[in-house]
Order: sequence, then structure tokens, then C-alpha cells
Amino acid sequence: MTTFHLQIVTPDGGFYDGDAEKLIVRALGGDVCILPRHAPYVTALGTGQATVVIDGQRRTAACAGGMLAVTKDDVRLVATTFEWAEDIDKNRAQRAKEEAERRIQSAKDGAELEMAKAKLSRALARIKAAG
Amino acid sequence: MAASSTKDIKIRIKSVQSTMQITKAMELVASSKLRRAKERAEATRPYFTTLHQTLSDIAYSNTEFFSPFVQKREVKKVCCVIIAGDRGLAGGYNSNLFKAVAGAMEGKTLCALPIGKKAVEYCVHRGIEMVNDRYTSVEDLTLRDCFSIARLLCDQFRQGAFDELHVGYTNFVSMLSQQPAVLKLLPIHYDRKEAKNRAESLLEYEPSSQAVYDAIVPEYVGGLLWGAVAESLASELGARRTAMDAASKNAGEMIDDLSLKYNRARQGAITQEITEIVAGAEA
Repeated sequence: MTTFHLQIVTPDGGFYDGDAEKLIVRALGGDVCILPRHAPYVTALGTGQATVVIDGQRRTAACAGGMLAVTKDDVRLVATTFEWAEDIDKNRAQRAKEEAERRIQSAKDGAELEMAKAKLSRALARIKAAG
Repeated sequence: MAASSTKDIKIRIKSVQSTMQITKAMELVASSKLRRAKERAEATRPYFTTLHQTLSDIAYSNTEFFSPFVQKREVKKVCCVIIAGDRGLAGGYNSNLFKAVAGAMEGKTLCALPIGKKAVEYCVHRGIEMVNDRYTSVEDLTLRDCFSIARLLCDQFRQGAFDELHVGYTNFVSMLSQQPAVLKLLPIHYDRKEAKNRAESLLEYEPSSQAVYDAIVPEYVGGLLWGAVAESLASELGARRTAMDAASKNAGEMIDDLSLKYNRARQGAITQEITEIVAGAEA
């Protein structure tokens, strides 16, 4: 099967650098799937689940913020946070979700509400990715 | 006379010894923290270079829109994020940075966002207008803090609160060498040559180039700040380790010197006593 060169980097370090067959991420407007020989393309990322197919193996991850850039030669996923499903601490994500829900209830202004909502969506993405 | 001088020397030695204990401990703490900070600084580099490269590519191939983040404006006011240490005892680390910032910002109307206790103190002392002074600890600064700073500054930049955004930080060149630097973040400047050959074809944006740019630029600034904080923290610890190492060495030399003096004085006192006894016996 044809592959493309995929690079995933986060502020905590490089996550993946190698060939992949397929990449699905949540962009601002919804899920986007990248296959080999995609046209040059740029989008900003939302918060959600990401799926990478490497050598026929599906790997899922939670991914939030950043951008996706497809150029002629390679695909770069520059994420703010990126965690493979097996690295996610499900209990922690659950606690974060409850905490975020509490904050949404008690938010006093718009900014606080936005922050709490972002936190909740991150927690939900983690829980979903962890399965 | 001799008795009191040996006692004085003994007290001096004790005090130098206790100072040396402190400098030794600080050196050990700094070097153990330094290893982690260095790893972090190195881990951030690929993120930063990829981010920068991607933005250059986009800017180069972009022909269709005009973003306030790339547009040059008449410079009336400059904002500078100053990343310094939380405490002194790191040789010239803090003062070198402040000198570099003051040099780069000379003659411009300046407002600052200090990070680290020393940076806040510097701004208060100099009477520099502060965007906010909440970030008094470099060590505890999280990635999320960096992104909220970036969002805040990008919003203010777009509203025209200032016309240029700089960051003053210290580059971690090696364990022994740290270089203060001032970097311009906004408006984004691209080296056209750098992006050439890479993005000759047109790019597709989703949902729109403007929306993508607006979402990416704060991300870019935040990532850059995070990198600068990581570099600065490693530099601070490196500088502190070197300074404390030198201080411990000096203290060791001083103790050697004082011990020699102490032994001489003691020897002198004994000799004098013997002479007095012998003289007394002869009389």
C-alpha cells in the first residue's frame, strides 16, 4: 500500500516520525481524513480523537489544538497535546471531566465558561480515545 | 593578642564553611534540575522548528489575504515579554538579559509582560508599564499559561494596543555558555528564501485562510514562548551551577588560606609561651 511521510510533534517532544497509510484528525470544521497523495492543504485542529494507520495497524490518540499541514512531500501534525490511547490515564480524564462540568455550572463570565468548555471537550476526547 | 586572633580566624573559617555548604547544595540542586530542563529544552526544539517551517511555507505560498499578524504597522508602542529568573545567585544571568532587553528596546515606548520574579522586580524598579504581573514563577509556568499569555497578547496586538511583540530570553548554547537574545514575534517576518522550493504549489485552506491564520498564530506565539521559557530555564540553572561552582571553589581556597594563617598563629602562640617559660625559669 502507498504511504506518506507523517510527522507528529508536540511541545513535549516528537511523537512520531515515519510512514503512515492514513490519518484522521478533528479539524475546526469536523473530521478530516488524509490519504497518500493528498493535495497541499492546511487547517487548524480542534479537540478530538485522532486515528493513524501504520502498517495496517490502527492507533488511536487524543489530540487537541495546533495545525495540520499537508505539503507535497510530507504531512505535519503540529499539535498542542497529543496522547496515544494506551498512554491515557482514564481515571484522571474522568476526574477532569467532572471538574470541568462543575466549573461550567459555577462559571461567572464568558471567558471562564469558554475555558471550562474547552477543558470538558479535552477530557471527553481523552475518554473516547482511551475507549 | 595571639589567642584572640586564632579565635577570630576560627570564626571566619566556620562562617566560610557554612557558606560553602550552601553554595555546594545550590550547585547540586541546580545541576540535577538542569538535566531535566535541558531535556525539556531539547524536546521542544523539533516542535518549534516544524511550527516555524510550516508557517513560513504558508506565508510564502499565500497570495490571497491580508492578515493583521503579517502586516507591518507604524511602530508607536512595543511590547516585550521578558523571561528572567525567580531568584539571583546565578552570576550575570538576570542582569545580562536586562541589558540585552534595554539595548534592543532603547528609544521605544515599551510595555512589558514579565515572567519570573526578577523580571517583575525589574519592571517595577524601572517604572515600565506592565501588561500583567501574575507570572512570578518561571519554574511553575505551564504550557497552558504560555497559551493563555499568547492569546491575550495576540488579542491586544489585533486591537492595536501595541504594534510589535518581542520576547527577551536566554539561549541555552551549552552548559557553560548562555546567550541573552531578543526575538521579534509579531508582526511575523518571513525569510522568503527559507520557504522557497518547498511550497511552490497553491495551498488549500479549510475553513478559510483567514480562520486558519487566526487560529494558528496564537498557537505559534504560545509555542514560541514555551520554547523560550524552556531555553531560559535551562540557561538560568546552567548559569547558577557555574556561579555556585566558582563560589564553592573560592570558598575552598579561602578556607585553605585561613587554615594556614590559623596554624601559623597557633604555632606562634606556642613558641611565645615556651620562650616566656624558659625566660621565667632562667630568671
